[in-house]
Amino acid sequence: MAEASLKSVAGYLPLLRFDRKVARAELRWSGLGGSGRGRRAVAGWDEDALTMAVEAARGVVAAGLPESVVFASTSSPFTDRSMAGIMAEALRLERAVVAQDTANSRRAATTALIKALRGGATELVAAGEKRAAQPGSAQHLNWGDGAAAALVGPGKGIARLLGAATINADLLDVFTSADGGLPYAAEDRFVRDKAAGEVYLPAVKAALEKAGVAAADIAVAVMPEPVDGVYAALVRACGLKAPNLCAEISQQAGELGAAMPLFGLALALDRAEPGAKLLVAGFGNGADALVFEVTGPGTGTAAAALRQGVVLTSYTRLLNLTGRLPLDWGPRSEVNQKVSASTLLRHGRDMHGFVGGRDQGGNVQFPKTPIPVRPDAEGAETYQDVPLADVPAKVVSITADRLNFTPDPPFHFGLVQFDNGARVAMEHCDIEGSSPEVGDPVRMRFRIKSIDRQRHFRSYFWKAAPAERPDLPAEG
Amino acid sequence: MASGIKDKVVILGMGCTAFGERWDMSSDMLMAEAFAEALADAGIDKGRIEAAWFGSALDDFNVGNSAIPLATALRLQNIPVTRVENMCATGTEALRGAVYAVAAGAVDVAMALGVEKLKDTGFGGLPIRTKGSVNDLWMPYGSSPGTFAQLAGAYRAKHGIAAADLKRGMAHVSWKSHQNGANSPKAHLRKPVEMDAILNAPMISDPLGLYDCCGVSDGAACAIVTTPEIARSLGKSPADLVAVKALQVCTSNGWESQYGEWDGASVRNTRVAAGRAYLEAGIRDPKGEIGMTEVHDCFSITELVTMEDLGLSAEGRATFDILDGRYDRDGAIPAQVDGGLKCFGHPVGASGLRMAYEVHAQLLGRAGQRQLRQIDFGLTHNLGGQPSNSVSSVAIFGRL
Repeated sequence: MAEASLKSVAGYLPLLRFDRKVARAELRWSGLGGSGRGRRAVAGWDEDALTMAVEAARGVVAAGLPESVVFASTSSPFTDRSMAGIMAEALRLERAVVAQDTANSRRAATTALIKALRGGATELVAAGEKRAAQPGSAQHLNWGDGAAAALVGPGKGIARLLGAATINADLLDVFTSADGGLPYAAEDRFVRDKAAGEVYLPAVKAALEKAGVAAADIAVAVMPEPVDGVYAALVRACGLKAPNLCAEISQQAGELGAAMPLFGLALALDRAEPGAKLLVAGFGNGADALVFEVTGPGTGTAAAALRQGVVLTSYTRLLNLTGRLPLDWGPRSEVNQKVSASTLLRHGRDMHGFVGGRDQGGNVQFPKTPIPVRPDAEGAETYQDVPLADVPAKVVSITADRLNFTPDPPFHFGLVQFDNGARVAMEHCDIEGSSPEVGDPVRMRFRIKSIDRQRHFRSYFWKAAPAERPDLPAEG
Repeated sequence: MASGIKDKVVILGMGCTAFGERWDMSSDMLMAEAFAEALADAGIDKGRIEAAWFGSALDDFNVGNSAIPLATALRLQNIPVTRVENMCATGTEALRGAVYAVAAGAVDVAMALGVEKLKDTGFGGLPIRTKGSVNDLWMPYGSSPGTFAQLAGAYRAKHGIAAADLKRGMAHVSWKSHQNGANSPKAHLRKPVEMDAILNAPMISDPLGLYDCCGVSDGAACAIVTTPEIARSLGKSPADLVAVKALQVCTSNGWESQYGEWDGASVRNTRVAAGRAYLEAGIRDPKGEIGMTEVHDCFSITELVTMEDLGLSAEGRATFDILDGRYDRDGAIPAQVDGGLKCFGHPVGASGLRMAYEVHAQLLGRAGQRQLRQIDFGLTHNLGGQPSNSVSSVAIFGRL
């Protein structure tokens, strides 16, 4: 079989980590505050499954340009608009790239990964999740927002697939219907027993057998747990001895849905030595199990994502950011944000890809205009495309605005100067605490530009974020 | 070579409504009020007006687009009426149209009227507007204070000014305007405010607090202009007339926001417009010759930076000049003696004409308790848009 190998795997988490102790205290009166242990990653208002998947994918495409891309999510913001297509534009891939959206299962990414590895072509699988859940539910506190991406391709990479197996079973540990929109969970004890015994066990056994690897030889496991205790039961049943990185991820960032297996795989590769055997699984109405042998280093992105961030200690802000607190933002929020379909088709590729242009005098600008901004330009010129997303940049001017509506005030914006000469008026993101100063370095992040609440549409563009994220404090 | 506008046109009469929350007045009523005062001041019949320029910046809010609202409100008898919009420079732009028409000899008497009815929007501050379907795909939805607040950080970075010093300088700008507004019967805000209240006000757009921002108002202002010769034929003596010495507008072409040279600490359009205006008016020493200013103090930082852009303060010194009282009512070059945008109010399309109204009153000695000592030249300045993408106007008025 002309299998491909893993070329690169990356993980992405949003900046904020909600401290579950806060919810436990806030909801003490109700008894619905959960364990109070650990933190969950919380996406910014301008992040969704797609934007986070793009951020993860940016971490792997340097290893090779994919011929096809897969976007995997159970929380895609659209049911009929290709997120994979926008992702391809954001990554500035060829228009002819095969772009596939895969959804409706937390196994979406692992299933796509198995197919990609067996396909032999250079393919990107990127998963993102920003799942809605009702406050008071275990999911609202236990689930986290995040993304991960894997690039596979022919030849030697950083890990090779030794064997894989799939089991399908309509085990309803949790389901979310199109009509309901919010998850509904089954009893934990039932899920623990059946997930371990009737789903994971046969899948893992089959994958290990195909790989020719003994359970005890697995160095690291990445096995999403629908409820606590599933992995422990599996360990008892089949002799696994490896730690399960998903427990650590859930504790520090939350359960990441379709992105969890790839994020765990990225973390495992960040830590494992060459030769180590990895067991990676996807869970949801069955299971996918994959056994890898490590052949090279990880990208370090998942480990960094877990290490860095800012602790969120406001329960009401969590509710707002997760779309569960309908505040009255007043008439200034009534601005019409309708996006013109014809404008989007005409300019969307440059917007999604953040593609500026180098004019005939050598100056770079965004967006491209008929007559360049260069002072000595006399008439219309043609441009050479210049992507700006990865160009170092710094703050020229900035403010934190509290007048205009934004879903998570304040609204930071100002002029950004790119090292290649381009200057762009931009929104900023990922700012907690004091604003950046003039001259501070920034990096570009793919984000939601605007949300049209009347028509349930959103547009995407790039925003400036502080170049570095702070390390998270130790949990207190 | 063009000879410029100096002394070719005089103001025959001016009118200005009280600015503020005119809950009982619609835009047509405001227009009629300002026009009636201007017409009486000019001492002519309405029929003498041969052309009009109508300034309204926010046509989709309560006034309506085209020139028809003005022609209808004043029942102008089938004369050409042109509506102009150039953001916060709209009022001065309307005046420029009328002045140019007279100077060109196309008409003998022309009128400029600006109006805005903002308090029917239902909230404070300017309405949020689309920037066009392409720009909305990428350009930030920044508020007006947000766009101007950015001057502060860039100014500090350029000149090495401590944040606390700049904040005090900005606070003095607002303190002074509140003091002045208390002496303006037609001003929107007529209450002096203590420095502590200004310094500790809620933050709107960092570092601009509530009192660093002008509010928005309802109001209208009007000017009727003609040639000096026609004015004299109408019985006006030179002492009754204010001459237009210069009228310049400068518009951004994207250099500030798209080309990597601007430091964000000044407004180039104001500098260019001022330079042309001084040249047109024959002013060689602005610091010594300009007797008063009405500048676009939409935000305190704007006034501070504008004083350098106009050449009235040395580079990096405006903060300290302001704190020294240079622009106070009893200072060397009083600014905003009527309260400015900050306290007289800011009905956008009318503001440029309101500034001219105050300079006109001061030059004619009609300013009552606000009357300054003898001045020869008064300067008005508007800044539309935002510092990084602006329309700036500078007008200079004096005696014949």
